[in-house]
Amino acid sequence: MLPQSNQSASKRPDSGFRWSRIATIATREFRQTVFTKGFIFGAVLFPLVMFAVIGVMPFLMSSSPVPVSGTLVVADEDGSVARAMQKLFDQYKTGNNANSAQAIQDAFAAGQAGDVSSLQSLVDLPRSIDVIVRRVALDTDLAAVREEVQRGELLALIEIPASLLGANPSTVTDIVLLVPTTSPAKTTALFSRVSREATVIARVERTGMDLAQARALVREPKADTARLTKEGAQAKEHTEMRFLIPAGFMMLMWIATFTSANQLLTTTIEEKSSKVIEVLLSAVSPLELLSGKIVGQSLVSLLMLSTYGAAGIAGLAFMTMLDILPLSTLVLFLVWFLLAYFMVASIMAAVGSAVSDLREAQSLVQLPMIIMIIPLLLWMPITENPTGWPATIASFIPLAGPFVMVLRTTAAVEPISTWQIAIALIVNAGTTIALVWIASRIFRVGVLMQGKPPTPRELLRWARTR
Amino acid sequence: MSQVSSSSLPEPAVHLRGVNKRFGATAAVVNLDLCVPRGALVGLLGPNGAGKSTAIRMIMSLIRQDSGELRVLGGDALDMKDRIGYLPEERGVYRRMRVGEFLMYLGRLKGLPRQGLANCVERWLERIELPGVFRSRCQELSKGMQQKVQFIGAVLHEPDLIVLDEPFSGLDPLNARVLISVVQELHREGRTIFLSTHQMSQAEQLCQQVILINRGEKILDSTIREVTQRFSPWAIEVEPLASLPATHDVLAAIDGVESTHASDDGHSLTLNIDSTHDLQVVMNRAVALVPCRRIEITRVSLDDVFVRLVTEHGGHARQPARGAA
Repeated sequence: MLPQSNQSASKRPDSGFRWSRIATIATREFRQTVFTKGFIFGAVLFPLVMFAVIGVMPFLMSSSPVPVSGTLVVADEDGSVARAMQKLFDQYKTGNNANSAQAIQDAFAAGQAGDVSSLQSLVDLPRSIDVIVRRVALDTDLAAVREEVQRGELLALIEIPASLLGANPSTVTDIVLLVPTTSPAKTTALFSRVSREATVIARVERTGMDLAQARALVREPKADTARLTKEGAQAKEHTEMRFLIPAGFMMLMWIATFTSANQLLTTTIEEKSSKVIEVLLSAVSPLELLSGKIVGQSLVSLLMLSTYGAAGIAGLAFMTMLDILPLSTLVLFLVWFLLAYFMVASIMAAVGSAVSDLREAQSLVQLPMIIMIIPLLLWMPITENPTGWPATIASFIPLAGPFVMVLRTTAAVEPISTWQIAIALIVNAGTTIALVWIASRIFRVGVLMQGKPPTPRELLRWARTR
Repeated sequence: MSQVSSSSLPEPAVHLRGVNKRFGATAAVVNLDLCVPRGALVGLLGPNGAGKSTAIRMIMSLIRQDSGELRVLGGDALDMKDRIGYLPEERGVYRRMRVGEFLMYLGRLKGLPRQGLANCVERWLERIELPGVFRSRCQELSKGMQQKVQFIGAVLHEPDLIVLDEPFSGLDPLNARVLISVVQELHREGRTIFLSTHQMSQAEQLCQQVILINRGEKILDSTIREVTQRFSPWAIEVEPLASLPATHDVLAAIDGVESTHASDDGHSLTLNIDSTHDLQVVMNRAVALVPCRRIEITRVSLDDVFVRLVTEHGGHARQPARGAA
């Protein structure tokens, strides 16, 4: 007696194209791709960990004291630098900057923090500092002092050449800072920074000027930029973000699209080379198989987009900059992403069905890849002028269009003209439909073909085959 | 697809008329007429490269014929996928997938409900003598075991028509015997089975009807009985109790014996009889003259018929062509 299923074939209705088959194939594609260690780590855990690290970084920094305690020797012309250094160390010690992490947060919230590097230098400041500065004359024999540094008995030996303190300080001479090999990098950076700052203080004092006044005079004021829209409203300008966000969105779209499309290429080649394709095609039509694979990988792609996108949006929220990403931009991004994905996926599936290994596929995907590199090459000019003619024309280039439109949409302060969005949508949606159709024709013929890889002309002939 | 007219009911499970298929300059199938009645067990025979797999792929609608008419279960195979089971010649599984998961996936694609599917797969694995591999990965199985798994994939959904392309090749005799018994059982259940093979003994053992093709053309389409009758030589094989040299002259002198041929081992003698004489009479005379351990009318083997027909048809060598796998 042979095993029986719950429903024999003759009781099932005859069927042509069936959505349940597509759902079954899509589910398998999704599960086989997503439930792997590589994907879970690369697409889910990595962005989550990255975001978690960014989120807890300030707390980690504030809770990691690096104590600095001991004596350092400063050799200078008249002791002015040594005195200034001792004063700076005492200031840190007695409180003005005792809680550096708090100082950073305060400065950041008030918009007073300088550039990123100076912010970083503040972050690096140790919290517990107890340093005694011992001054020696420049002409002293420093051999004994060097030995003490070597043995770690001194924190450092700092030589300030006299030429650095004259009325016209040398621009070619440097401070000499010698530290023991065991000196932590943060401590060394602290000594470097304090010695440089003390040198400047000594110079200013020699001129008889007030230090605070001198600092105020040379400090460059910040430019608080805003864009005036045609309607007269002011839009807050985030200069760095205006370049970073479009690039971020485009790269996110690239990574999500190409990771899944590449997976589609690989699995199709694998199914073909392992001969399982013939078993599948005895159960489903080529169009059902292709549709299921594309839909399954699109879900993978959307999952990647969600994890990385959520991490990015959370980052913006953390920086209170969510206002630069209106909901309409996110909706449009999703539309452009889907168009880009279906275009690239169709190409990869068609190529995968036509070849026997990845090497053969490379030559066939070269041309579309070149077109899709256009947005990467035009990233800066498009971001700089998202409504200019190069950006406008690039939006209408099939394949490149969705990526360019994402750049433009996220870079533009004012909305892109509706007619430009409409034309770009029509061109790229039309291209997507055409590519999916052509891919289904090529796929149908290609998956059962063996032998040398087809030429582009042969692929076109397959597409026309009845 | 064009209609194939049929005067008898029910319509055959597979019906091809004047089907042609070329791959470049090579004619893979030439003007092929073929009819597999419902409930029959039919073998498609032929040497390597004869066009068997191409014919089967056309029946499965995996590739389209260039011309001719083709109907499967009364319609287009594309619309009947859930009612057809197919074991392709080139075996393929998802190597990293688990056996049970793979078979359930195929079952789902064939329209089986999720409920009870795992149990059904387990029972099939036991029936085919592969218990305990449900959770094994396909790549952990031997080739023969993978082939049996794929066989389950072809029959799991209880199809009306089962198409098997070289189902026993690569299997050891024990596993081949298991599959043969399952095929016979499926046939007894009333399912139509169409299988290709170049192992004549298995075709002889299993099939009611055989179709022989060579160079893409059909050169034989008969029941096994008809083949036996049509190609049986007019001969009697005798194994005397005494030594052959001592009895040879007596047997050769029987009226109607045209010529004799001793077997390689020297134990038996084949008597070729003049077709105007009655075999039974000659046989009775031989038994009367020489005490025999064995005497029988020589039976033709399908193997002999195969070799003879293919040779008459110009051998089986053909230029390879790029085309469907």
